[in-house]
Amino acid sequence: MALTRLNPAMLAATLVVGGLAAALPLMGASRYQLVLVYYFAYYLALGQAWNLMSGMTGYVSFAHGALAGIGAYATVMAMNAGVPMWLSIPIGAAVAGVSSLVIGATSLRLRGIAFTFATLFFQALALLIVRKLPAAGGAGGLPLQDILPVWLPQLFMILLAVLSTILVMVVRASRTGTRLLAIKGDEAAALSLGIASARLKLLFFCISAVLAGLAGAFHGLFTASLYPDVVFSFDMSITALAVPLIGGVATAFGPAAGAILFVGVGELLDIFAPGLHNVVIGALLVAVVLFMPLGLVPFTVGRMRDRRKDARSPAASGEYAR
Amino acid sequence: MSISLTLVLQLIVNGLVVGGLLGLVALGLALIFGVIRVVNFAHGEFITLGAYLTWLIAGGLGLSPFIGIPVAFLFGALVGWVVQVLFIGRVMERPPLDSLMMTYSLSILGLGLFSFFFGGDFRSYSAGPNGDLRLAGVTVGLRSLSVLIVCVALGALVIMLLRSGRLGLAFRALAQNRDAAASCGINIRATERLAFSLAVGLAAVAGALISLIGTTTPGVGDDWLLEGFVVVVIGGMGSIPGALAGALLIGLLQSILGYALDDSWAKIITYLLLYLTLLTRPQGLLGSAMEM
Amino acid sequence: MTVLRTEGLEKSFGGLRAVRGVNFTVETGQLLGLFGPNGAGKTTLFNLIAGETRPDQGGIFLDGEDITHLAGWRRVRLGIGRTFQVTRPFRDLTVMENVLAGVPRSDATRPHDERSAYSLLERVGLAERAGDPASQLTLGMLKRLEVVRVLAIEPKLLLLDEPLAGLSVSESAELLEFVVTLKSATAIIIVDHNVRQCLPVCDTAMVMDGGEVIAHGLPEEVKTDPRVVRAYLGEEAA
Repeated sequence: MALTRLNPAMLAATLVVGGLAAALPLMGASRYQLVLVYYFAYYLALGQAWNLMSGMTGYVSFAHGALAGIGAYATVMAMNAGVPMWLSIPIGAAVAGVSSLVIGATSLRLRGIAFTFATLFFQALALLIVRKLPAAGGAGGLPLQDILPVWLPQLFMILLAVLSTILVMVVRASRTGTRLLAIKGDEAAALSLGIASARLKLLFFCISAVLAGLAGAFHGLFTASLYPDVVFSFDMSITALAVPLIGGVATAFGPAAGAILFVGVGELLDIFAPGLHNVVIGALLVAVVLFMPLGLVPFTVGRMRDRRKDARSPAASGEYAR
Repeated sequence: MSISLTLVLQLIVNGLVVGGLLGLVALGLALIFGVIRVVNFAHGEFITLGAYLTWLIAGGLGLSPFIGIPVAFLFGALVGWVVQVLFIGRVMERPPLDSLMMTYSLSILGLGLFSFFFGGDFRSYSAGPNGDLRLAGVTVGLRSLSVLIVCVALGALVIMLLRSGRLGLAFRALAQNRDAAASCGINIRATERLAFSLAVGLAAVAGALISLIGTTTPGVGDDWLLEGFVVVVIGGMGSIPGALAGALLIGLLQSILGYALDDSWAKIITYLLLYLTLLTRPQGLLGSAMEM
Repeated sequence: MTVLRTEGLEKSFGGLRAVRGVNFTVETGQLLGLFGPNGAGKTTLFNLIAGETRPDQGGIFLDGEDITHLAGWRRVRLGIGRTFQVTRPFRDLTVMENVLAGVPRSDATRPHDERSAYSLLERVGLAERAGDPASQLTLGMLKRLEVVRVLAIEPKLLLLDEPLAGLSVSESAELLEFVVTLKSATAIIIVDHNVRQCLPVCDTAMVMDGGEVIAHGLPEEVKTDPRVVRAYLGEEAA
């Protein structure tokens, strides 16, 4: 797995920012600021999880909210049953991972939209089933019995955000990443070149689900109280896909830009126009799909590169364009 | 649980009402997928549009909700035309991922707009037929009966349009072979826009009818869209007969399961059926193997 | 050495018998030209060998191994490579990434890295474009990329599907010249409508019509075979 294109500067930047974020409580940041940073990390982690699968292969998942929710419920239920945290969290992640294998096994052998439908209905099913499960507390909610000090899930989430960003960076720079993008570009051609498409898709969906499950688990520990209608609402699946789509699909830093935007827009809307959240996100998504389908970051970087090329040799810029 | 004839008839009637509505929704979805190869995740928003329009007419203005039906159709078709021209038509030449994301994004936008303007309250109205019809021991609400009649009538009309008539021919030509259709002189752009408008108009009518027998919320259309997707997957993605057969099947199934268990279980089992279909026969009952 | 052998291949689509009882072999170092009028079954035969469809009857053997029911991508790992009639580049990837995307044959000898990819690109004059996105290439370049991309995975059997379609006479000649140089390491089957330029460079020619092989032999023999002439030009010409 040649990593010739892994950019050490990007890696360093990620670690530095992550370290700073983790150290914020020690630097006297206010509770409000810490919560903002937490949500940035949460959206980023969830967004990278989606990015790793759907961003790279082009197979859109609407289930990432549910996968996170499963991680949350499994972890909280385990902890309430007395299982120590260091074991409950992997259990939550594992249950999410296994769920992804079930969805994937039914639909990833097929090309096209079958997978997307399978994830759409998984999200719907998760809500229906969890509402009925007495062990999950039903519609009344499931509280976490031993609430943790808030800095712990916050730290976990920041670590997860850093980890998942680095993972996307590494995959993108590797031959495997090229193959995933090949599947996205033209699956028939990818298969004709020996790429084991179904297996690769399933593998990355599983990894992506585990990451989403972890994000959900940490969020469950943070909120300390789970309500199925909140946890399994489609909103989280929308966030999972909107963050990378708006920020920059198949890139490591795109979702970071998306997450900042999400947190920023969320705060602004809360002050000025509560209730417009979906309208703004929907409008942004429509604009992105229409005008910058690769997302904000690649679009901006591409524009800057073109301008630099223009500056250097005005004649060359139009030469290879179609 | 005694299984009497009246019970069976009752369940069938209920199933037919739901099936009729699902049929309108699924017909639109199948038309859009068949003719322009787009999976319309925004379809639910057009259903909701029709529902709120009718609520405004019947609840706000106090007029008969049946006025809502043609109004919903025309308004829906118009909005659909605009959406196709401004948004969906622009991304159709791109990889299918883009059109999927476009319709999904429009759906989020639409849902947000409805929530913003109408709030989350459950809306209903008293105008329109009230009371029941009793026939052979079976009770049919007059509202439900009207819904059923409109669905069947409209469905039959659309089938006739598709079977005969130049538009229907154009739709079928486009669905089978785009390039050949173009070289036959069929105006591809116009046909696509008409297909989308018609489909969306049908969705809006479904919404109008849904507002009559249920409550209207910002998410009402999306709930029905989910069921509609089950119908088209099980029936076959671009297949019109598949959509109708599937609608009938799912409508009856949900009616029976809803009675035997409860509504949640009915949905759970229906969605599991979808997985079964994907596993065993992904092209659906009547679709071709190329669809998926 | 026989690389590919087919036995009694049959494939029907509904009522149409696209491939009927096709038997043939291809040896290493051999360039087999597959010709025939439209609808003769050439593409179906290609798809059967590449694994995109399964035959209704008959068998396909690669190096003696039965691959009839093997998944397409597994056949690639065993050494079958194909190009497509309408090029299918990975548009958002660079030329270099396109070449490196494939997974080489299990018993490949050459390393699958940037250096060998670059030398392959040099052979077809695409080396300077290595860092450009594939979406920026002209048709001629895309055709060359299509071939190089599959070469990078070291196929034992190369299936070229209408590689000359859309190319000018000189571009076609250049590409054919390049294809001929590949013979030593691979067996090649080439399907194309440009019989005039293709036939002369083939070692063997096979003509299909209506799903059947109506002629199979040396190019000069096949060219004058009355059944071939009839298939292409109709009754009067024969």
